[in-house]
Amino acid sequence: MDNMKNAAIIPLSGRIDSANASETEAKLTAELPADGNVPVTIDMEKLEYISSAGLRLILRVKKSHPSLSVINVSPEVYDIFEMTGFTEMMEVRKAYRTVSVEGCEVIGEGANGKVYRIDGDNVVKTYKNADALSEIMHEREVARLALILGVPTAISYDVVRVGNSYGSVFELLNAKSFSKILANEPDRFDWCVSEYVGMLKTIHAITVPEGKLPCAKQKILSAAGRLVGVLPDGLGEKLKKMVEDIPESDGMIHGDYHTKNIVLAGDEVLVIDMDTLSVGHPIFDLVQMYNAYAGYSISDPEIVLRFQGYDAATAHRFWHASLAKYLETTDEKKVAEVENKVRCLSYAYLLDRAIRHNDTDSPEYKLWRERLLALLPSVDSLVFECSGGEETAPDPDALDVEATNENLPTVVDFVNSRVEATDCSPKAMMQIELAVEEIFVNIANYAYAPEIGRATVRVSVTDDPLTVTITFIDRGVPYDPLKRSDPDVTLSAEERAIGGLGIFMTKKVMDDVTYEYKDGQNVLTLKKRL
Amino acid sequence: MTITKKKDGAALTISLEGRLDTLTSPQLDAVLKAELPGVTDLTIDLASLEYVSSAGLRVLLSAQKVMNAQGKMTVLNPNETISEIFEVTGFSEIFTVG
Repeated sequence: MDNMKNAAIIPLSGRIDSANASETEAKLTAELPADGNVPVTIDMEKLEYISSAGLRLILRVKKSHPSLSVINVSPEVYDIFEMTGFTEMMEVRKAYRTVSVEGCEVIGEGANGKVYRIDGDNVVKTYKNADALSEIMHEREVARLALILGVPTAISYDVVRVGNSYGSVFELLNAKSFSKILANEPDRFDWCVSEYVGMLKTIHAITVPEGKLPCAKQKILSAAGRLVGVLPDGLGEKLKKMVEDIPESDGMIHGDYHTKNIVLAGDEVLVIDMDTLSVGHPIFDLVQMYNAYAGYSISDPEIVLRFQGYDAATAHRFWHASLAKYLETTDEKKVAEVENKVRCLSYAYLLDRAIRHNDTDSPEYKLWRERLLALLPSVDSLVFECSGGEETAPDPDALDVEATNENLPTVVDFVNSRVEATDCSPKAMMQIELAVEEIFVNIANYAYAPEIGRATVRVSVTDDPLTVTITFIDRGVPYDPLKRSDPDVTLSAEERAIGGLGIFMTKKVMDDVTYEYKDGQNVLTLKKRL
Repeated sequence: MTITKKKDGAALTISLEGRLDTLTSPQLDAVLKAELPGVTDLTIDLASLEYVSSAGLRVLLSAQKVMNAQGKMTVLNPNETISEIFEVTGFSEIFTVG
């Protein structure tokens, strides 16, 4: 290694032929290190032509300095080296072709750089870091590994100079990211979910030979370790212990599996952006997926729109549908359980990241922390079954929907369909309808805001006396609406406050309203005797 | 919900038909915002209104506030259920129910 310090880089320029070979040799020799063991690199960036006299000169340098390498060789000169067998005698590196991305369409953008389409079939991925060569080489290496192990991916076939940095060139025929498809072709939503999850399962089913890829658990474990002193009431210790208990796995993890990194090229689905490849339990992929669709944008839904090109509601729907499909279940309770495990790690990762970047004053930070602290007491393990298992039949008396105002008619219709069977009075029907609206709209507007979440509505009818019971369950911020004081109904129009009216009306038209926070869920139960 | 407007000088009658709830109350709010300037006599006819939730009450309340400052507002023909809702929420004291 000591020799590296003295390594010599010697430039050659112009033409080297028999007319100037000896003159060039004299100059070159003067610059060569006295010690023959010191590595020597000849930079041929400005060399236009080399004749056999020049080649003999290079051979003599190789003899005196065996570790000689030649870099920045133009395509013409490279041909000569190749024909004469020099490329087998020493390291000869081609000059990087220069590519301009000015005016090219940006088809992707990540934390580390942008992806441009340079022509119909080719894209170039550029890197912000000026010293990007090692990154490019790393990514190329892991992409090759992934391809060999069975992941359909694109491998860069060339490294080019782009401005002051480097880029890697990929062939991507008519490639279109899943983000673009979701944004422009909403009727292909289900197809996207199916392909996206199918590919994720392919990746997770791959066993990676030991030592080839880093361990995903290590990163989250370090984050959890740093949070021990940050979270109150032993919750940090609990989190760390749960991460430690996640079983080791040699299954492949993509590490940044969101819809911008899945592309449709021709009729083939490919995964790109392989630089975050690692091994571990599938939860680690789900965590970064949740971050991409909901975590980063917790306080500003615009972030998703800017990054993915589709809105936060679509992102949430896609995440939820993908998770259910990944878990091979329609049991919303199971999906919610796994989602809560994922959210714990997502918030932990984001919190730790914000702390490390000294970015703890943001509204996001406050929300991540709040949500994590609300979740941790009710989550006791981060492990889950990825598929199969016993499928519990869906509860026919329960409806699970995204909690949005748009879904109010669906919920009202569902409850009405159950209550109608009792033959109760139109007035009672309307009162029940009123209570259902008030409670559901409250959940839609406040439980998850500004995110979007789901709510379950369960209806049961019992005899003696004939009673209808409606239960609303959500997994949003813990909130007991019954703690709110009733509005003063004797005040004038000017004095009346706007809030609290809905829950007050609900209490008036129902016989019994109770609230509990249980297993990380808000459970509000309404009862009315008919 | 169907909203019918009838304007006669500074007098405006708005008839509501259907449901005044979370999803439809923004429509009424928009109509009132556009029509109320210059109105001194507002009548809201609920004869064909079947249902009102707190979202609807809030819109009616803000109309009442505007009319307190520039004239009067009368609410007509609430059905039995809606009357009861006005009663328990104290809105029967706020509105002039004709």
